[in-house]
Amino acid sequence: MIAIQNLSFGYRKKRLLYKDISLTLEAGSIYGLLGKNGAGKSTLLKNLAGLLFPTAGNITVNGFSPCKRQPSFLETIYLIPEEVHVPALTIRQYQNLFSPFYPRFDAEKFSSYLEQLDVKEQGKLNTLSFGQQKKFIIAFALACNTDVLLLDEPTNGLDIPSKIRFRKLISSVFDKDRMIFISTHQIRDLDNLIDRVIIVDDGELLLNASLTGIAERLCFKTVSEFPGKNTVLYAEESLKGFAVVAENTDGEDSKVNLEHLFNAITENPAMAKAIFKN
Amino acid sequence: MNNTFNAKRFTRLFKKTLLERPVQMFGFTGLLLAVVFIMYVVAKALGGFSSAQNLTFIWGLPVSSCFFASLVFGYFSTNASGSSYLTLPASHFEKWLCGISIAGIIYPALFLLFFRIIDSSFVALFHNSLNPAAPFYKEQFDSVYIFDLNGTIAWRVYPLFFLLTGASFVGAFYFNKIAFIKVAMTIAILIITVVGLNLLMAKMIFGNIVDAGPFNHVTIPVEKEEVSIMVPGAINKIFYYSLSFVLPAILWLLAFTRLREKEF
Repeated sequence: MIAIQNLSFGYRKKRLLYKDISLTLEAGSIYGLLGKNGAGKSTLLKNLAGLLFPTAGNITVNGFSPCKRQPSFLETIYLIPEEVHVPALTIRQYQNLFSPFYPRFDAEKFSSYLEQLDVKEQGKLNTLSFGQQKKFIIAFALACNTDVLLLDEPTNGLDIPSKIRFRKLISSVFDKDRMIFISTHQIRDLDNLIDRVIIVDDGELLLNASLTGIAERLCFKTVSEFPGKNTVLYAEESLKGFAVVAENTDGEDSKVNLEHLFNAITENPAMAKAIFKN
Repeated sequence: MNNTFNAKRFTRLFKKTLLERPVQMFGFTGLLLAVVFIMYVVAKALGGFSSAQNLTFIWGLPVSSCFFASLVFGYFSTNASGSSYLTLPASHFEKWLCGISIAGIIYPALFLLFFRIIDSSFVALFHNSLNPAAPFYKEQFDSVYIFDLNGTIAWRVYPLFFLLTGASFVGAFYFNKIAFIKVAMTIAILIITVVGLNLLMAKMIFGNIVDAGPFNHVTIPVEKEEVSIMVPGAINKIFYYSLSFVLPAILWLLAFTRLREKEF
């Protein structure tokens, strides 16, 4: 479990990126962390992994304080940054040198993940394309079997087939003891993958809800006429009229559109907060 | 599990550190030792054995170890490698110990061994080339000898090695990119500032001066003579021990603290 209590963080003390954020994340979910460019998604992930220390407040990850970076904590968490680092080693050499640090590493699964992501043994890792390097690190991270997996823009640099493979793989490896936290601005890549959404903007946590919860409180539909600004959270002109996001007052059943949800929450934070208050 | 030190984990880390960047680690060692060899040969040809030994030893131990110290903690040039290093499941102490073992113990030991081998080989070659029947054989034989690793020059270089290597360790954590160059520039600026301030202060106090060495002496003209005023022995000792042992120890330990507090 990740518990964030009154977290404030800023690269400069006078300019905080996050102000007094509190959040509890349970294992058994795939979280999608959404935010605009520069909203601090990577920063939040780095705080969780212990690479950055909170300016104020507290973070605990499965009882550990990340900023101490104790080995027993680092064995249980894996952060895949947006740009990955691979040394000039072959896949097997990398596995031999790095996997012993992760007690739950599964070599068989690693080979299987590499196969599923279509990463082939082709000489040194640093000679592979960026996409191949990223897929290699994703396969390695998954094989480490850590309790918490943090992925920062994992689909950046992946081609369309690879994005599909990535989604399939993440879904297949997921279990109730694991927490996967994906930060991205490419919202469509998370479709049918995540079950909880966290939206941050302007230093604030705007939303932390399950997709089921979101569907209960909001409805996503297409209407023929523009319903008026005050009645909807978001409206976008489409071929068949207007795609709108509105409060679900009639218990309508609709599929959550992540892109529209994101726009709705970031454009109308006050209204969204009121809807999700209870 | 011990979160400070675990022998098994340390061994893994040590192995990983050496083999993860084999070209840099072993290539760099080879290159530095090759430079040491070339320097010895050139200096011997130009200035004789004494110059070759002193120059090679002074350059080889502190300066090349300083290079190596930057390399061993040089993970922070990119976001990706820095994150990967800091999130690797090993303790700060193990990471620090691993770095200082390689750059502060193993590399210098390797250098000293290499230096001793080339020095004794060249000295032996010279001695063998002499004709025992020739006049002044003994004088010529005795004029060239193996560099004393426990001699005065060596003991002036060892503290310099600890000082520069310590500065390099700390610099690797302060300056993320091109740390070695930034450390070298910082040291140069520091030396120029200290020497400059010392000269300025000496001029303010004594008026006309010939020379002033920081923490050591001031030379002033007295009629047609030049007179040096030395720092009293006890105070000089304090400076000597502070610069030779206390400051290096602080720098080496500061590297550990910086690693623990490093945010990236």
